[in-house]
Amino acid sequence: MMDLSTTIDAETLLAVDVGSVHTRASLFDVVDNQYRLVATGRALSTATTPLLDIGEGVRMALEQIQTITGRRLLDESEGLIMPSTSEGAGVDVFVATSSAGPRLRAILVGLMPGVSLDSGRRLAEATYLEVVDEIGLSDRRRDEEQIDLILAARPDLILIVGGTDGGANASVLRLVESVALAAGIRPGNPAPRILFAGNRQLGAAIVERFGDQASVALAPNVRPGFEGEDLTPARNRLAEVIAEMHSAKVSGFDELRQWSGGTLMLSADAFGRVIRHLSQIYDPRKGVLGVDIGASHTTIAAGFAGDLHLSVRSDLGLGAPLPSLLRYSSMDSILRWLPTDIPEDVARDYIFNKSLQPATVPMELDELHLEFALARQVLQTALAQARAGWPKDRNAGGIPWLPPMEPILAGGGVLSRAPRPGYAALALLDALQPGGITTLVLDPHSLAPALGAAAAVLPMVTVHVLESGSFVSLGTVVSPIGGGRPGRAVARIKLEREGTSPLEGEVRLGQLVVLPLGPGESGKLSIRPERGFNVGFGAPGKAGAMRVTGGAVGVIIDARGRPLALPKDAGRRRELNQKWLYDIGALQ
Amino acid sequence: MKANYLPPVSHVMPLTIVRRDRTLPIAGTVTARLNERVQAVDVIAEAETAPRHVFLDLARGLGLPAKDAPSYLVRQKGDRVEMGDTIAGPVGVARRTVRAPADGRIVAVDGSRVLFEVRGEPIVMRAGMPAMVVSSDGTQTVTLETTAGLVQGIWGNGRMDFGVMRTLGSGPAARIQTDMLDINLRGAVLIGGMCDQPAPLHQATELNVRGIVLGSITSDLIPVALRLTYPLIITEGFGSLPMNSAAYGLLTGHVGHDAAVDARPGDRYSYQRPEVIIPLPTNRQTDVPDDVIQLAPGVRVRVLRAPFHGAVGIVRDLPLKAADYPSGLLARSAAIEIEGLGNRLIPLANLEVIQ
Repeated sequence: MMDLSTTIDAETLLAVDVGSVHTRASLFDVVDNQYRLVATGRALSTATTPLLDIGEGVRMALEQIQTITGRRLLDESEGLIMPSTSEGAGVDVFVATSSAGPRLRAILVGLMPGVSLDSGRRLAEATYLEVVDEIGLSDRRRDEEQIDLILAARPDLILIVGGTDGGANASVLRLVESVALAAGIRPGNPAPRILFAGNRQLGAAIVERFGDQASVALAPNVRPGFEGEDLTPARNRLAEVIAEMHSAKVSGFDELRQWSGGTLMLSADAFGRVIRHLSQIYDPRKGVLGVDIGASHTTIAAGFAGDLHLSVRSDLGLGAPLPSLLRYSSMDSILRWLPTDIPEDVARDYIFNKSLQPATVPMELDELHLEFALARQVLQTALAQARAGWPKDRNAGGIPWLPPMEPILAGGGVLSRAPRPGYAALALLDALQPGGITTLVLDPHSLAPALGAAAAVLPMVTVHVLESGSFVSLGTVVSPIGGGRPGRAVARIKLEREGTSPLEGEVRLGQLVVLPLGPGESGKLSIRPERGFNVGFGAPGKAGAMRVTGGAVGVIIDARGRPLALPKDAGRRRELNQKWLYDIGALQ
Repeated sequence: MKANYLPPVSHVMPLTIVRRDRTLPIAGTVTARLNERVQAVDVIAEAETAPRHVFLDLARGLGLPAKDAPSYLVRQKGDRVEMGDTIAGPVGVARRTVRAPADGRIVAVDGSRVLFEVRGEPIVMRAGMPAMVVSSDGTQTVTLETTAGLVQGIWGNGRMDFGVMRTLGSGPAARIQTDMLDINLRGAVLIGGMCDQPAPLHQATELNVRGIVLGSITSDLIPVALRLTYPLIITEGFGSLPMNSAAYGLLTGHVGHDAAVDARPGDRYSYQRPEVIIPLPTNRQTDVPDDVIQLAPGVRVRVLRAPFHGAVGIVRDLPLKAADYPSGLLARSAAIEIEGLGNRLIPLANLEVIQ
């Protein structure tokens, strides 16, 4: 056990995450020499009108923690008490993350498709930007048309990439010329922010070209050499610029920055940091997947032995952007997940109403089913796009089910509202369709961003809390890969648990089976697959055994097939969805 | 006791001070004067639509090397010119000249290239309601103030107009039909219940109505609504939702009065909401509406989700204990006395204050 006296002398950590709909606060303290989650508070975010000031929402969330713990966090002037006092008030460390703020429209300017433009696109897609257009060297539009499109688009940010360090100068400067001219003739409206993440030798020239017409931020080159791409340094700078832009529209961020000693991370970046960390400690042959379905964004973070691939979709979320889902998915592809008959027009009305009132919650069961059907489709759509950017050797040739991942960490308000753990588990299995063996872990308190932000200051918090049970393990999932007629035998399974007789039986294709193994329990799971089925031990037909720990659902054998094929007949499909909800314990 | 919870607020107020910004989409010129009283149709600012740009290649036009061409420029950055005016030249025996291709201005000179801005189409911004001009930035935004009845909606199609209010149909739940739309409604602002067919909306176009305010339309009508030439506002949402009693009572109680219908879509990061403003001159002391109202017993609220979507009621209690619902949700709730339905528990997240 690490001796905490050799680390930073800090016993209490307070983390705040400001979302577009909710602001969450989490208090961590040292209990039995380990950092533990002590209390959480949640309030409606006040980033939007009428206040346009996150401070009130932060204070309400902190007041909840004060009420629960009896620990005073705020002084008479509503400032944070730091460091903690001998009377037990205040905290030692404060970290903050945010995803709140208006949608930022961006134009991407780069040299070559397939090279700098692709890197720039990946950079933009990893954060809270909506790229409305791209301009490249091979753009067919004339210079003046490019100027007109920049003026008409009225972007908040122009992201310029291109040129390896020490490489092409003239081409990059020529591209910048149209942007600079457009920035100079944008009368009366604020000029867009410029972020240059290209040939670093051009930084000074670019700043000079824009002069006082636009504020230019410089970031390390996303492609310092022709072969390699390095997005992380540029991502950090871009996050700072985005945070500044949000602060210009919404007050209160400066106070959080001050309380956190100058660091305020974007929630997606902090979330990605946790996934990267997990990918460095879990089996390097598998990836680690993190998904977060928010009201305004959906984040997909995949870590492969320390290599993070982050995707943030600002056009996919279960609140204001919800109607955008219909650009990518038909109503049929949403309704297919329902266990009850909800007419298409009712579902469509729901989508548009939810976008107008994103903070509302389902009171009736049908609305819950609809909300989770939408969550499945949002997640599946976001994942498909994110996978396009994963390394080829990790994407398993683009198979329609998820390549090996362990664990899968899932967060977001909708999942934390699941009435029973099985409800969340089934939604994740339907949307992500993992193959082989994995563990589903739920983050019901949205702790992952907090831990990602805290990792730089108190690295042990992340380690301790991840091990502590503040995250909810839903259970180990075994998803056999293979084909055949429904009802065909897939595998023989045996679960041995201490103190009880073993459970064993045969699983057939089409079945969803849950073996009881609760939180804190462990056992030995042996699987003998039938010929042609790969259950995750390396090859089709290969049997194996493994130690498994329990979860809120249990050990889940998802033999419904990969890819999941739902019946074409709507009635039969609803029956099957209903049956699976019962099988996984989502309904009583 | 209060809930330490800040719900969203919608205004349905018989009389209040309404202060609104009118903003050009692009910088131009504010023509209204401070403290001027304006009418709905008065132009208060004007600008040109987003212009387009053309690069004039002086070297090619004058038949000179690129390094020599700039010395023949006879204009400078910022100069306004008319179509045909000389930009550069004349050069040589042939007196080659580069001329303005249209009315516009020189916005940049880049070596031997001149960036020319072709003048856009003029646009005007009207007051939209009778009011006083209380402030302006001179180029883009004018702030107007009046005393008025105010009804805020939840969605609008982006248009704005002004006209006399008339009722359409027999109540807040009435579905509007084409046979309700007759010649007597020409040029009016129509107040109705619900719409689930495009035909009445098109019929209203034929009658040159100045706006329609409904409780709801079905979401499949959104593309139709966005193409209408008159403003359309819904107060409750999408589907078959009657207009809430507070809004319907206030609007129909002023039938025959003028109303400004501003159907701008809502934006959570600015203060704009679709709304109906009924100018009502008064000597009474009035105030601006409250934007921040804590939930507490006695506060009037509206329900935002099924099963009581659109219902209006009064907060009677704020239990400390979370309530559970058929969806399996456990949520902090309020006991609401709903008009015509009695007491119901509603999650705080599904409530909006109606002031």
